[in-house]
Amino acid sequence: MMLKNKKQKCIMWISILSVILCMTVPCFFYTISIAQSTRSSDEQMIARAINGEARGESYEGQVAVGAIILNRVNSADFPNTVAGVIYQPGAFTAVTDGQINVPIDAGSSVLKAARDAINGWDPTGGCLYYWNPATATSKWIWSKQIVKAIGKHNFGK
Amino acid sequence: MGRFREKLMDWKKRLSDRHMYSVVIVLIAVVAAWGIFQYKRAADLRQELDNQYNRAFYEMIGYVQNVEVLLTKSMICSTNEMAAETLQEAWHQANLAQTNLGQLPVTQDVLANTSKFLCQVGDFALSLDRQNINGKGIDDEQYRTLEKLQEFSVSLEEGLNNLQASISEGRIKWNELANKGTQMFRKQSENLPGQMFSDINNSFQEFPTLIYDGPFSDHMGSMQPRGLTGNDMGVEEAQQKLKEFFGADKVTSVEHTGEIQTDTLPAYTFRITFNDRPEEEFAAADVTKKGAHVIWMLNNRDIGQETLDVDKAKEAGMKFLESRGYSNMKDTYYVKEDSTATINYAFEQEGVVVYPDLIKVKIALDTGEVVGFESKGFIMNHTQRQIPEPALTEEQAIARAGTRADINSVGMALIPTKFGTEIFCYELKGKLKDKDFLAYINAATGKEEQVLIIINTENGILTL
Repeated sequence: MMLKNKKQKCIMWISILSVILCMTVPCFFYTISIAQSTRSSDEQMIARAINGEARGESYEGQVAVGAIILNRVNSADFPNTVAGVIYQPGAFTAVTDGQINVPIDAGSSVLKAARDAINGWDPTGGCLYYWNPATATSKWIWSKQIVKAIGKHNFGK
Repeated sequence: MGRFREKLMDWKKRLSDRHMYSVVIVLIAVVAAWGIFQYKRAADLRQELDNQYNRAFYEMIGYVQNVEVLLTKSMICSTNEMAAETLQEAWHQANLAQTNLGQLPVTQDVLANTSKFLCQVGDFALSLDRQNINGKGIDDEQYRTLEKLQEFSVSLEEGLNNLQASISEGRIKWNELANKGTQMFRKQSENLPGQMFSDINNSFQEFPTLIYDGPFSDHMGSMQPRGLTGNDMGVEEAQQKLKEFFGADKVTSVEHTGEIQTDTLPAYTFRITFNDRPEEEFAAADVTKKGAHVIWMLNNRDIGQETLDVDKAKEAGMKFLESRGYSNMKDTYYVKEDSTATINYAFEQEGVVVYPDLIKVKIALDTGEVVGFESKGFIMNHTQRQIPEPALTEEQAIARAGTRADINSVGMALIPTKFGTEIFCYELKGKLKDKDFLAYINAATGKEEQVLIIINTENGILTL
């Protein structure tokens, strides 16, 4: 194909550039999210999970989500580490959709809530499950006994 | 409409221009290249994920096989030492199997019983292992439990092998299990492998409740609270109690927000607002129905400039506890974070620190106000105990701790075990190579029950 005039050359270059952009831009995003998620202790991990799951909830509701994670660590039905519980496939939507990687501000209330949960505060009375009755899709979750409702979430055993 | 048609005609005319064709072809090529690239990337990622699932699954099968073999061996072993060694390995392998189980993309309700089984096998093996180390062999009842566990591990292994056959023949793919996006995939995963995992689980449902001293045994879940004294209370009485708890002059309102329905500690839940704070800085609290004990309280108010040190905070916490009817409490450990200090207080009886009777008080370091309170340990365990005479003298206990460390102080303590029981111990505080530690020597038998390392940082004293 002969390129006869300037206009055609211009279009050609723009197309080539756009191909390169399409291929490289996603790479940037991938590397960023991985870099941010590498260094995290239990406290950070729990805080991030709370941030993804219960950002809009009251402080009590945030501590409750942290307590659920720790109750699961202590339960025989679930993995035995914080990372094992949080990253269990399909366990938390915040992990499935990647919100777990959103960084937390140092003075954020989710971090305080994570610390209170680690220090032993458990607003749920020992629950292992919680769900949002408005959006819960799985049927079996309703077979759980509701122990308490905090904000938008039901907590159960 | 006419204008639109005109434009369309114009576009067509321009397209028919030969140069324009090449432009369109280039555009299509760009989109196609991008699409292929993205598709390949997604396929790579999916493959990587599948590989992870497969690794977890195959590793788990290997560990379950090992558990089964080790349980069988432990029944054959004739010496306590050999049995202890085998059981410890069984515990280790059961733990690894459970870790891998948690990584499979199968819903939790389907996996729960298998996980519990592996956990119980591990706990049971470990408790037998300890018993064997102490020179006590396996008794008949334990042998029968061991036999049953071994039978179940064989059937788990069979179930897993069937599933493995389906997976390696390619009849089931992990992404079908993992993908919950579309109805079709979900149905497929419900019919096929999910079903198979359910079958595995069903055989465990009839599994008898294990009676053994393990942390996860069912009797722990249904343990009756020993410190839950008093009569059944109504909502008003609980509200009144909370007002006194916070100070009647400070509280604006105590709103009843709901209830906690559990077998062990049924409770009312409340939201409390304060005179000196804006309405959005409220506190939440649970109060037991029986006796109106405050289980926990959290007040997430903004905390101003720090003015108190930890010693002042400890005093404030002690004063708070005494005025609320918790006497003879002794502060033990603390953490300082976010301008608050969370201090652990344990009950003290006749000079013996009773660690299970635990209350945590969180103190704001600006005014010394109590902004958090947690007394589940106290409610579950507190009772007046019969403290026995120690069989060992202090000197004997120190001698038990070994000669390499310096012992700085000696006290008496009751410590909780994982099994819900308590042990009467000498508590030795010592130092080894500038590491502070606590050693607990059983006051009746002289056995070393527990060693804790004290971590002393500027943010608190914690134990490991």
